[in-house]
Amino acid sequence: MHPTIRLVNRNLTISLNPGFVVWQVMFPIVYIFVAGFAYTTLIDSVKLGDVSLDYPAFIASGMIGFNIMNSTLVSGIIIWNDRRHGMFEQILVGPFKRSHYILSNVYTIAIVGLISATLITSIGFPLFFKSTHFNLLTIPFLIFASVVGSILFGSIASIISTRLRSSEGFNVIINTVFLFFAFVSTAFYPAQGTPEPLATGFYLNPLTYLVDIIRAGIFGTFNEFVMLEMIVLVSVAATLFVIAIKLLTKLDL
Amino acid sequence: MSIKSRSLFKSYGDLVAVNGIDLDIGSGKIFGFLGPNGAGKSTTIKLLTTLVPPSRGSIEILGIDAIKNPLDVRKRIGVVLQQPSYEPNLSVEKSLEKYGMMWDVDKKTRKQRTDELIDVFDLGEIRKKKNEDLSIGQRRRVQVAREFMHEMDLLFMDEPTVGLDPSARRNLLDYLKDKAKAGLTIFYTTHVLTEAEYLCDEIAVINKGKILAVDTPDQLKSTFGQEKTIKIHLANKYDDLIGLLLGISGCRIEFDTGTNIIIQSSKAEIVLSQVLSILIENNILIEDLSAMPTTLEEIFLRMVKDTNAPNN
Ligand SMILES: Nc1ncnc2c1ncn2[C@@H]1O[C@H](COP(=O)(O)OP(=O)(O)OP(=O)(O)O)[C@@H](O)[C@H]1O
Ligand SMILES: [Mg+2]
Repeated sequence: MHPTIRLVNRNLTISLNPGFVVWQVMFPIVYIFVAGFAYTTLIDSVKLGDVSLDYPAFIASGMIGFNIMNSTLVSGIIIWNDRRHGMFEQILVGPFKRSHYILSNVYTIAIVGLISATLITSIGFPLFFKSTHFNLLTIPFLIFASVVGSILFGSIASIISTRLRSSEGFNVIINTVFLFFAFVSTAFYPAQGTPEPLATGFYLNPLTYLVDIIRAGIFGTFNEFVMLEMIVLVSVAATLFVIAIKLLTKLDL
Repeated sequence: MSIKSRSLFKSYGDLVAVNGIDLDIGSGKIFGFLGPNGAGKSTTIKLLTTLVPPSRGSIEILGIDAIKNPLDVRKRIGVVLQQPSYEPNLSVEKSLEKYGMMWDVDKKTRKQRTDELIDVFDLGEIRKKKNEDLSIGQRRRVQVAREFMHEMDLLFMDEPTVGLDPSARRNLLDYLKDKAKAGLTIFYTTHVLTEAEYLCDEIAVINKGKILAVDTPDQLKSTFGQEKTIKIHLANKYDDLIGLLLGISGCRIEFDTGTNIIIQSSKAEIVLSQVLSILIENNILIEDLSAMPTTLEEIFLRMVKDTNAPNN
């Protein structure tokens, strides 16, 4: 087996523990069903281009993006734990190159991101199936979103995990950053009707672009603006990815 | 040759951690690398195992140029670093198994070796426990055992017995001896002398990044072991005594508190009789007087002390 595949195998084994899976599956389910139905009385329907969605469908689709982001935490956690528990050195003194290690993390993020997106899509499907405008773009859009989104947020998590030294810092910082991404985005509520500064904030946030693209795929609301969002997302992901790789390559032993 | 290095240097800023090390280590040997804290043992291991590049010098491991082809070297060696390393949320047996997988060991062999190593390293009781829940010594045992999951021609171990209890320690040393008999070359660092003496075919003493001596434990002892240590314990302090003792040729005073004096000399018999006559002539009352062969420990301490002296 190729060294990178062996490392991916190991990465998946150490990160797919019960705690992580519960967090990945239970939280979104509870959120989609509880918040989704509780807020329907407040938010009647959300306009998305020409389509009008009910709130549960809106939030279930937003949750796919949120979950892709959340699942990329694994990459940060892997790098962080490997440094803290000596496995980074141990791997690099074994039959691996640094590039194997880095690539294995990229693949791990993409795999976990894809699984996560599939999971939430199937869980959320009953909620948005009546609004679903299943078309040629749906599946490619979801895959595009999973891969680009997980590389983008995975790079952020990796960058943070290479920059930190103290032991308690990582979880606090990563959760703060991701919480900000989650709530200053259109994942949970629509931009229309929010105060101007907040609505602007939404569009400084890659998660907003990610969920817009996912919704365009599911509800068939693709237009030029979504196209632009895809270009922005890919550019940001590519830039952060290059930075993350640079930092990982230079990471001191 | 399993390990060959020439003029190996490594500096961190102004600090020279490894200062020109030449090594020639044959196959099937256990080579002890002995030195005090900060001597440069771990840095040497990191250089030889290609974890960090040297500032200067050449390294050949198992006939492979380690600077040009580090991956080819790493595929054939095992390394137990000084720093602990473990997968916190895997159980002991799972972490052995996964480590074997990382080394591309086939599934059947993996399973078989896991059971074997759990037995050899006495991990049966903790095999289902997670690594994060283990004691420090147990974790170290798992780390050492894990390295034997894969095949190798050369094994580097950086103070593997730190944290092990006496029986686990002895158990490991005997296991290593067996492995060496079967042809494995082992590069072993420690600052425990008795361990090196028990285990190693050859010992290098290192301090401040430089090798001070390389030889077999026996040869080291006989080179330096002509020497005897004379211990004098006086009833009362006698101020002029040191001056008188310094007059004896071949007499080196190692330690002096006024009432406790330790002398080392390679002409111990002659020195001893002169010491005695000085004590008698001056009516100095002694509580105890003894002469014995210098131990490897004392040789080691003196070598280190000599290189640490300010004029060095
Ligand atoms: N990454 C580093 N950066 C700066 N200095 C370092 C680094 N690693 C080691 N040193 C320095 O190099 C010298 C040799 O360190 P090394 O770890 O090789 O010692 P050692 O013989 O293994 O000691 P010990 O018995 O304590 O393990 C020390 O003075 C240490 O401070
Ligand atoms: Mg050391």
